Amino acid sequence: MLPSYYEFHNPVKIISGNKALDNLPSELEILGAKRPMVVTDKGVAGAGLVKTFIDSFGSSGMTIGAIFDDVPPDSSSEVVEKITAIFRQNKCDSLVALGGGSVIDTAKGVNILVTENSDDLLKFSGAEVLKKKMKPLVVIPTTSGTGSEVTVVAVISDIKRNLKMPFASTYLLPDIALLDPRMTLTLPPKMTAATAMDAMCHAVESYINLQKNPMSDAYAVAAIEMIRKNILTAVSDGTNAQVRLAMANASTMAGIAFSNSMVGVVHALGHAAGGICHIPHGVAMNIFLPFGLEYNLPKCHENIGKLLLPIAGAEVYARTPESRRAEQTINYIVELRKALNDLCGLPMNLKQAGVTEDKLYEIAQAAINDPSIVMNPREMDANDALAILKKAFQ
Amino acid sequence: MTVEYRPIVPKIKRFKILVIKIVFIVLGRAFQSASQHDEEIKREISSWRDGFTLIMKVMPDGPYMGLEKKNNMLEFKGSKLKQADLEIYFRNVESAFMIMTPQMGSHQAFAEKRMSIKGDLGIATAFTRALVIVMSVLYPEFIVKRLVKRVPPLTIKRAGLRVWLYTLGIVLGR
Ligand SMILES: [Fe+2]
Repeated sequence: MLPSYYEFHNPVKIISGNKALDNLPSELEILGAKRPMVVTDKGVAGAGLVKTFIDSFGSSGMTIGAIFDDVPPDSSSEVVEKITAIFRQNKCDSLVALGGGSVIDTAKGVNILVTENSDDLLKFSGAEVLKKKMKPLVVIPTTSGTGSEVTVVAVISDIKRNLKMPFASTYLLPDIALLDPRMTLTLPPKMTAATAMDAMCHAVESYINLQKNPMSDAYAVAAIEMIRKNILTAVSDGTNAQVRLAMANASTMAGIAFSNSMVGVVHALGHAAGGICHIPHGVAMNIFLPFGLEYNLPKCHENIGKLLLPIAGAEVYARTPESRRAEQTINYIVELRKALNDLCGLPMNLKQAGVTEDKLYEIAQAAINDPSIVMNPREMDANDALAILKKAFQ
Repeated sequence: MTVEYRPIVPKIKRFKILVIKIVFIVLGRAFQSASQHDEEIKREISSWRDGFTLIMKVMPDGPYMGLEKKNNMLEFKGSKLKQADLEIYFRNVESAFMIMTPQMGSHQAFAEKRMSIKGDLGIATAFTRALVIVMSVLYPEFIVKRLVKRVPPLTIKRAGLRVWLYTLGIVLGR
């Protein structure tokens, strides 16, 4: 059904494929950049990806302004300030984020400070606070899940003040998302599975929530189908470049979908569980997805039913009567979780993920204040949240 | 023949702006009153710092409706505040009119980008919930049902609050 009104925005240039990285210098030139600063982490550097990155700049005539390879797993304002100082000192003019969600968010944070010429991130926290076009930002994801390469958001924690600062602005959209299969080849199986389920949740939630629209639907459905066809191979045989590239594409498509239609209760619960019990985001997504869908079933039976086509394939879809499709969609997700659990031990409930039962109440309270619930089809209150958490516990 | 080109100044939408201004006053006073009586709204605002301000603003330059947290309640500030910690924008007069009259609920308005937020999204989420409660007290259920995902229960206390708002609450803001 066509919404009475909607908006869709994705100005990010997608560059995908074999040796895509080698096109980066010429792309930076088009953006008017001459001295990019690279933001990455120790894991990426250790996997040899920074070396591949530097090699791709060979004979390009371009200087890499600096490489910061010490971004922690949770992006913090201190690191953002540190990188900003290096950026200024080395007279860099653009940013390249080479890494997963934390690295990408950190680079977005640095871009805020260098663009606004400030040292206080908190001043720019919130929605639509930023007002200036930023420095060129290229994102090269080394995980396939967050979708940050095409989203308007970043989350950075302020450790001193003990708070998580969200940023949302169209100015945070990167200029380029560069998907090179070499960049995800070394991602370990469990991380591959968890991040893939994050992408899956982006696509699924975007397809069922209140801000869905024909454009975001198209991206969501394409993403889910590509995930179904590739996720198990990506986890069991990580060296398959073709499959890795497909997962990177799926993740980016899912990112475009949810950046334009938002997510829902699965993410609200996942953010809350992550904040309180430090469950990795992808692990939380894998745990909550079937329960979130089950919760929303009364409000969007038809839409969940339509997802059976990309999630299970045409054969199964045609075989299943319309009235049973939504339940089958959930069954297929449950089956997928079992397969992933067998392959790499990805937790299927909160207990396996190390959450203790006494935390559930606190998680429920945090979940209903998470902005992700606003576009969820069903209004979740604290009691509802607690009921879902209890089901997801063991 | 020469054609003369002159700048065009579009006319002001007086009627719609007047309606929005009236609804802002009713809503602002209802908030001030409900924040002293309704347990759930009290709970929603309890974590906000004292002196926290929020405004609803029709783009590009008004009307405005401001609220400030003071002594554990929301004080109606009329159109005095032009900037606040949390700012809720209506994209234009038509959108504001549609939402304030009330033909469209806030979640749909957010989905259609007729409303947007500047500031802390967590507090905005809590405020949206409080707004739903105030609406459900102000308007009869058949209207509210079309606007919200779930109609808040009309408890005996809230039924009493409705009577109070329509007799003296809105007038006195207590
Ligand atoms: Fe996510």
